[in-house]
Order: sequence, then C-alpha cells, then structure tokens
Amino acid sequence: MEMPKVTRRTFLKVSATTGAAAAAAPRLLNAMETQLGGKDFGPVTGAERKAIPINCHVCNIQDGAIAYVENDRVVKLEGNPEHVSTRGRLCAKGNSGMWYSYDPDRILYPLKRVGARGEGKWKRISWDEALTELAAKLDAAIKEDPNTIMLKFGRQRTGGVIDRFMHTLGSATIVNHTSVCESSKKIGMEPTWGPDIETPDFANAKYVLNFGSNILEAAYFHNPLSQRITEGRVDNHMKIVTFDVRLSNTAGFSDEWIPVHPATDGAVALAMGHVILRENLQDSDFINTWTNVSVDELKKHYQQYTPEWAAKISGVPVETIERIAREFATTKPATLFTYRGPAKHLYGSYNEKACMMLPIMTGNIETQGGYCLPRGMGWPQPSPQPGKPKKASYLSHPPDYPLAGHKVSHLVPFWIADGKQKINVYITYQDNPVYTNPGAMAVWGKLFKDEKLLPYLVSMSPFMGEETALADLILPDCPYLERWEPESMPNSLWPWLGIRQPVHKSLGESRENRIMMRDIIWKLDPDGKRGMKQFWDFKDGEAYMRHHFDNIPGLKEAGGLDFLKKHGVWPIYGKLDPKSGKVTDKTGREIKAEYGLFKKELSAADMAGTATDKNGVISKNGKAIGVKRNGKNYVGFPTGNRIINVRVDQWAEYGFNPMPTFKRIPWHETMKEDELILTTFKLNVHKQSRTAAVKWLAEIAHSNPLWINQATANKIGVKTGDLVRVESRAGHLVTKAYVTEGIHPKTVAIPTGFGHWEYGRLATLKLKEKKGDASHGQEDPDLNNVWWDDKGVHPNNIIPVVADPIGGSQGWYDTVVKVSKAGPNDKYGDSQGDWQKHYDAYKETMRYAYTGDLHRKMHPEMASWAGPASVKAHEGGGH
Amino acid sequence: MLKTELTLDEGEEVGAGETAAVLASPGETATEWRARAEVYHLLSGVFVEEPGREFIEALRAPAALADLAATGLRFDEDFLATPLDVLLENLAIEYTTQFACTGGFPPVESVRLTGRYKQQPNFDVMQTYQRLGFALHPGRFEVFADQLGVELMFVAKLLERGAAALDQGDVAAQRRLDKEIKRFWSQHLGRWVRGYSQLIERTAQHSFYREMARFLGGFAGEEIEAMGLRIEDADQARLEVPKTEVRVEFNPNEPVCNGCMTDALSTTLAAPDNLRRFEELRDLGGLR
Repeated sequence: MEMPKVTRRTFLKVSATTGAAAAAAPRLLNAMETQLGGKDFGPVTGAERKAIPINCHVCNIQDGAIAYVENDRVVKLEGNPEHVSTRGRLCAKGNSGMWYSYDPDRILYPLKRVGARGEGKWKRISWDEALTELAAKLDAAIKEDPNTIMLKFGRQRTGGVIDRFMHTLGSATIVNHTSVCESSKKIGMEPTWGPDIETPDFANAKYVLNFGSNILEAAYFHNPLSQRITEGRVDNHMKIVTFDVRLSNTAGFSDEWIPVHPATDGAVALAMGHVILRENLQDSDFINTWTNVSVDELKKHYQQYTPEWAAKISGVPVETIERIAREFATTKPATLFTYRGPAKHLYGSYNEKACMMLPIMTGNIETQGGYCLPRGMGWPQPSPQPGKPKKASYLSHPPDYPLAGHKVSHLVPFWIADGKQKINVYITYQDNPVYTNPGAMAVWGKLFKDEKLLPYLVSMSPFMGEETALADLILPDCPYLERWEPESMPNSLWPWLGIRQPVHKSLGESRENRIMMRDIIWKLDPDGKRGMKQFWDFKDGEAYMRHHFDNIPGLKEAGGLDFLKKHGVWPIYGKLDPKSGKVTDKTGREIKAEYGLFKKELSAADMAGTATDKNGVISKNGKAIGVKRNGKNYVGFPTGNRIINVRVDQWAEYGFNPMPTFKRIPWHETMKEDELILTTFKLNVHKQSRTAAVKWLAEIAHSNPLWINQATANKIGVKTGDLVRVESRAGHLVTKAYVTEGIHPKTVAIPTGFGHWEYGRLATLKLKEKKGDASHGQEDPDLNNVWWDDKGVHPNNIIPVVADPIGGSQGWYDTVVKVSKAGPNDKYGDSQGDWQKHYDAYKETMRYAYTGDLHRKMHPEMASWAGPASVKAHEGGGH
Repeated sequence: MLKTELTLDEGEEVGAGETAAVLASPGETATEWRARAEVYHLLSGVFVEEPGREFIEALRAPAALADLAATGLRFDEDFLATPLDVLLENLAIEYTTQFACTGGFPPVESVRLTGRYKQQPNFDVMQTYQRLGFALHPGRFEVFADQLGVELMFVAKLLERGAAALDQGDVAAQRRLDKEIKRFWSQHLGRWVRGYSQLIERTAQHSFYREMARFLGGFAGEEIEAMGLRIEDADQARLEVPKTEVRVEFNPNEPVCNGCMTDALSTTLAAPDNLRRFEELRDLGGLR
C-alpha cells in the first residue's frame, strides 16, 4: 500500500481545511490547569499546587479567593468556587494581590526616623527596641490621659482587635475613615430601616434604578453585584436606568443614562416619589403596615416635590422623571441601588433617604428581585474583654455632629489644630489620609509634620505611603496574604462567614496587626499586674481565630476553624455550575435566597416573657425584638421600633427635617457661568491609595486626565491632551484634558488613585523625574521596563472639606472649580493646596452643623425647632 | 548565621570545569581557600546587616586599611576620621537607606533578577543550603536566603570545608566542593553581584559602602575569572556599556555581505581590544 506523502507544506495545507473537524474530534486528555477553579497545576511540572482559600483584601468587597502556593510562594490567585457571593470570580485587583507580599519597596523591619519628619532618613531597629520606645510613649500618655492616645484606621478588618487594643489602653480616641467613604449613605439608611446598606436583588429584578453607582467597576460589592446585574440584564431582560454625572461603564451598560446635575439626585428621587404617590402607584398596604407614616401623610408631604421643581434643579426633563417613575412603580419586581453619587454631598443623608423611599413606597422591600436587607453573620470575641473607656473623646464623637454615628474623621486635623483634644501618641493603621482625604498634603501633611500638635506618630504599615513617610516609628504590618482575619460581608443574598489565613510565612520581620498589638500590651504589662495582659492571652493569630469560630452553632459541628481553613467560607450552599456560573443544589437547580426576612414570625419561645406596646412593638428584657402586625408577631426590621421609620424623629430634635427632603448646595445655586463642579471616581483596577505600586494594575491604568464635556471644552479652547489648570477655593492643579460627550457639561471629573508622591518607586515614578537621587529607587534600572512616564495628578489637595451636618460625610462632589487652559508657568502634575484656605472651608462647613448659624437658614420648614440649647445629650447612632 | 551540618560523600573523579587550583599542592590550595573564605566573610559582614563595633574596629585597624588600600579601595574621611559611635550610627542609617527601606536596593537576588522578594532564586538557594547541610538562622535581623550576605557566607563556608577536607587529605571532597562553589556562582552570585555592585557604588552616600561595593565587584570579577567561568550578568543594574567599548567577535554594524567594512570600522575602533580584533579580521580578509 502506498503511504501518503506528508511534507510540512502538505500538512499545513490540510490543517487549514480540516480545522473544524479537528476541533470536533474527541479530546480526552486535557491540561488540568484549564479545569474550572479550585485546583491548579504547575504548567511545567504538572504537579498540583497547594491551594489555600482566603478572602481577598485588596479592596473591601471580600471576594472568595484561593492562593496557589509553590515553595511557600504565591504563584497565582483566583476565585474560590465555593464562595457563594463571588462564585469563583476574582477581579483584576484580586488577581494581582501577591504583588503586595513581594513588593521590593515593602517595609520588612521596624524603622525609626532619624532625620526631620518626612525627610526620608530611617534607621532599622529591632522589634524590642521599637516596642520599648513605643511602650514608654504610651505609658506616659496613659498617665496624663489615655485619650491622648489616638488610633486612626483606614481599611481595617481585624474583627475587633483595634477596639480591644484601644480599650485596653483606656482610650476612646478611635477614629475611622468612614466619613471620606460612605457615611452619609449609612446615616441616611440606618435610622430608617436599621442596616447601613441594601442588597439589591439584581439577578431577579425587572427594573433597576441606579443613582450614582458604578456597579460594574467600583461600587461596594462590585464583583458580586456586577455578576448579578449582568445576569438580570441578560437572563431576566431587566431594564436599568442610571443617573450619573458621568458616562461610567455602568451607565454605558444601562438602557438609559441620565446625566443629572451634580448633587441633585435626591430632588429627582423625591419628584419620582411625587409622581408615584400622585398617580396612586404606591403600595399602600406596605406603607401603612410597615412604616411609621400613613399613605395620606406621605402624599401630603410629597406634594411639594413636583417634577417641574426637580427638573429645574436637576436638568432632568419633567417627562423623563414622570416616565421613569411610572415604569419603576409598575414594573415588578424592581430595585434601586446607590453608592457615593447621592451621598457624598453637604446633605448626602437626605439624598440617600430620598432614594431609598422609592423601593419603600412601592413595596419592593425584601421581595425576590427587590430591595433587600443585607445578610451578614457575626462571631464572638475572645474573653475576657476590656471595658469601654469611661471618658468620651471629642475627636471620636464630635458634639457638633451628634447624628454622625460613623464619625467625621476628615475634620480631625482642624479640631486638633484648634486644640479641641490633645494628642500625645497618634497611631495609624491601614490609613493614608495625607493622600486620601480632602486637603491631602495641604491639610494632613501639615498636621503630621507638626511635632507640637502630634508629638509622636506611629504607623503600622507594610508600605511607605504618604502618611507613613511622615511617621516617627514604623512597625511593619503584613499584607493581607499573611494575616489571620475573620470575615463576613453582606455582598449577596446568602450570609457567610469566612477567614483570611496566612498563605505563606510573613516576609522579613513583619508582624500581623493583632500580634503587633499583643506585643505592645505585653511590653506595657509584662507581668500582668496592670490588668492589661489578660485581654491578650493568645499564642498566635490562629489561636485567636479559634475563639471566634470554634463555637458558632453549625460551624462548630462542621469543624469550626478547621473547616474554614480548608474551605475559606461557611456555609457551602451548593456547587458552582461551570456552564451557568451559578451555585446549584443537588438537583442542579440554582439555590434560592430567602426573602421577606422582616416577616419571619417569632416563635412561642421568642414570645415568652415579652410585652407588646400600643404600637405593636414587642419587647423582651427591655429590648425590642419584634412587632405585631395584622395579629401576627413578626421579627420586623432592626430598628428601635421594628418598622421602617420614614419619619426619623431623632433628626427633628436637632432641627433637621425628619421626613424625606432635599437641600440644594447653596454655593451651587450661585455658580457663575464659567464655574464647574469637580467630581472624582474610581477605575476598576485601582482602589483609593494602595494599588498604584502594583505593577500589573499600574500598567493597565496609570494616569488620570480630567474628563470635560465637549461643549465646555470648546468654550475654553481645549482639546484632548491639552494641559488645563483647575482652580478651587483651596488650591489648583494642572493636568491633561480628556474631552468627551460622556460627562455633564457643568461637571469635570478626575479618577482617584494616581499622582502619588510616596508609596514606592513604581507609584511615584521618580526615576522619570529626577535622575541621580538615590531615594525612591530612582536608580533602579528595572524602572526602565516601565514604559509609561505619566503617573497622573492627585486632585485631593484642591478639594476642600465639606461635612454633611447629619451623616458627617465629606462632600467630595461639591467642589466648584474654574478650568482654563494652562498658562506658561503651569506644569503638568502641579497640585497645590493651602492650609489656610482649607481651614476657612472647615469653618464654613461647621456653619451648617446643627450648632451653626446657617442651620436654621437651611431649614425654614423647621422654624418651630427650639434651637441647639433644647437638645438633650444623645449618643450618635451607627457604630 | 549559617549552621553547618555537612557530611561529605566519597569518591568522585575530577571532571571538566575544575580549576587549576587542585593542581597546586593540597596545602597551598587549603591556604588559598581559607584566604578566599576570609574575603567572603568580610564582604558578607558588610552586606548581611549593619556593621557592628568589632567589625568596624577591625576594619579601621591600620594594617587592614593598608591592605584594603593596596587593593585600590579609597575610603573618605567619613569612614576614616569619624568617631566610632558616630560612624556606627551613620553606617546603620546608610545601611537602612541603601538596603532595608523603601526606595533602596535590597541586596537580594530575587529582587535583582525578578523585581520581587522571595521568588525562585530564594527557594533555589534554600534548597542548595539544605542539600549541603546548612540551615539559615536569623542574626540581628531576619534575612532572606538569597540575601547577598548569606550567599557570600555560604561560599565562605564551602571554602572552609574544602580547606578542612584538604587538611585531612580528602581531595575528592574538596573537588566536589569546588564544583558546588562554581555551580553556585554560575547559578546565583555570578548572575547578579557584578551589576549590583556597580549600582551600589553609584548610589551609596557613604564611602564605606561605595568602596565595599567596588571591592565586591572587583572580587566577583576576579573569582569568576579564576574559576574559569563564563557567566552572563543578568542584574538589572548592570551598566550599559557604550557600543564603542563593546568587545565583539564580529562587527555589529557590518552588513551581512561584508562589503562595506571600512565605514563600519570607524565606530568600533576606540577600544584597544577591538582594534586588535579588527586587525585580525583584516588579516583574515587579506587571505581571501
């Protein structure tokens, strides 16, 4: 038999025409590395890699992840298919997390400042030297007044360790970062229905209203929510309408993008409520049963918010407001989501409240496809626990902001400068306000450099951020892949518990936070005689975790911490179907969430020993545990009266409108023709301050031009790439323009996360700026492999402080600016703020506090309020 | 410090790549290896952590300074004339700036070759240490297995072992160690130390580290040559050598047809070596 003659030429020809058949031929041997998550194999050796489940902590979504380890080294990160919320998906940031561990600029040893603050001169010291020095400072501060020890944290997920540490020291001066994040969203929601966030059931919704949230890129829970919103859009044919000043990727994904005038979302939401009530499209039964107002009260109140009124303020046409209101009210189920868009304004709490009223009045609460309560799980704290400090801290609970339960941290520098509270030792953990806060270097940089105001500054950080660079002592913290931490995050409709666990030995001499704090306490109280050591009696992070997880009913039977070490998350609700990407039960059907949580009935055991008041509130041992409605005993909502408080009486005590309302930003009303509003936003591959040194992410996005509308740009003669000067009341910056139709003509926008002046060689790109200076790794030739030479421009120096007098939030999107072509003396990258101008802005914003002189002027409807002197002392809500 | 628990296998033949050192008498070789080990220890002490009082005192002894000067090291007054306590503090600060702090240049092979801590070189050297019976214990500070000071210390230990083997007449063991040293240089030190030393020479603010970096670079070059190794320096900081100074086996500007040699020559004749090389090429051309 003659064999076919196969030359290279002939088989190439054959392959070109038989490709389809080849593709259809059976493939019994597959590279295991291509299997659906949960396992990974070395591409060279074929050996299975060690898989360690964790919860990601590059940002705060808490995606389930798996670290694949070879030789005590993370070689890959991917999603954990057993995690019910994120279902095996991990975003670009999560995939890059190992860069934190191995960053050549990482701090691996305790460092003591030896030059002037911020000069960059350090000496490596031993842990014992560091702890001895710090303990002496703390000891002296405790003797004077424990509250002179301040700890401010940013992204902390220690699960209670920070409070334990500060309470052990006896200090109440614990300050978070939430006011630069979403605190007015929280305060808009908490007194109304209890929790501080909603869980929109996007996957099952038929209609979505999105106010100012970039769900697909950056919003809280963007990974799990972007999965669900895509399912809803594709599988469930839902409609989504996005109100945003900018054509974000989420707005582009929506059926309609409605460019609303900045800071007016609340007015639009109220007007939509007006239409719904006017046309009797509300769910009267839900309102009358589950809220503290009647339909009639609501109708009367909403009469004032006409579409004509809102259209004039927001620029959204009357017909659009009316149409969308009708669509939302008549399409079931419908849900709504907000993030910073409505909340980050002078009266952000009012805006948030106005938005959440829409699903409330249409009865879309806790329904499938609706607006649901968040689901989370807790864990017990190790015993014994230190008691709470007896003396309150001004900085933690500023008396001018009694309703701001999540604090007003961005005003802290001014209060310290004004002498409101003395600080002897300032400790910072996972925070970087010198970069992330309004005023940035001009405000926080000035505070941190002032050794009279802050005599001793300690940073617990793995990286030399803008704040850490100004410290006196640096204690090397571990990045997230080296820490033990408990987790639970309401990022889907299924509650879960999870952990972070070290996937490899910590590098150098870095120590995770809880160990660091334990060691400080042990140094202060070596023999336990001061009564401090008893609260820190654990061997290591794992032992601490056992206190959290080994006795939780259900988890305990499954194996407690050992189960979490193996799976990363509990419970495991089902199996991830690789075809649908959904979690399925044993029959192959998608698992279903539980809805109607507030309608759970109390059991006879629950009811034993209870009392029910005239409003139906069921109390036990002095605490409301449920509410009687239509003859049944329900668990209700987690508010004081177990129903939704459309009218928040506590607000009225301070002269704020207790009902849904809207306040226009006064300085927006008087804007001149050539003035614009500056907003900021996040990109999908960066977070606020800690990703610019992650090489994979920086390569994707490293610069941040100013978005400006085409018509606006035409007026000032600017085209894409031109240098522009942006001036606010507090400073100016010079950056490049990106001219686009995708932004409101009265708005300009700058992405955040760029323009670092610290944070290591990659973030600063100083090699490109200034050769010959040995600092920041300028001489490192590896930077020559960095093909980009633009690190962006940081906007926060020119953004003045604004504080919501209710929720305490920073008004990030309230800044009025002028934009012009850059002049001859303007240089790309200029970013300058002025302390005095920022200080003036602080004084101005305090005038809107309930104690300020503008409060009454802004609230003519509260004319009967008897003034600040009439207010009883209250503790703020929230946590 | 490296803790040694090395046992030596028996009976291996002399193979290709072994140096001429074994051809000297065992006693001479042992002496030479001990001398080399001392230099390795010295350089290890410079880079593994901040120098201690005894270390600096010994280095500033007149005899030591004279010997170092004889090798071409030129310390400035900041090292020679500064009171010891002040000097120790200054060196600790300079060490932190150069080697142990953000913005510095960690003396770590993984960083130099991959841009990150704790990558493959770290595990490779750890495996080598373990295979040869060494365990790494922290000194004043915990350091990576592929830290410069540790890698140098490892070679010093092998040299000492080799010398001890020779003392006992165990030439085979010494030869095996010679191979190990060459392998380690080829796989690790030789791939990054020369370029790195040039970087530190440029960036050091203090003459102690500047000169010790020069010493390291010179010593590394000498060791590589003496061992007869050809190793490409893959360090990120290796200097870009001007084209005119590149010693080439061919004229890189020469067209493939070899028809325009005259024009191309002008760009490559500056270096004497190149000149010699091109004279040879011309001669060869004349033969055609």
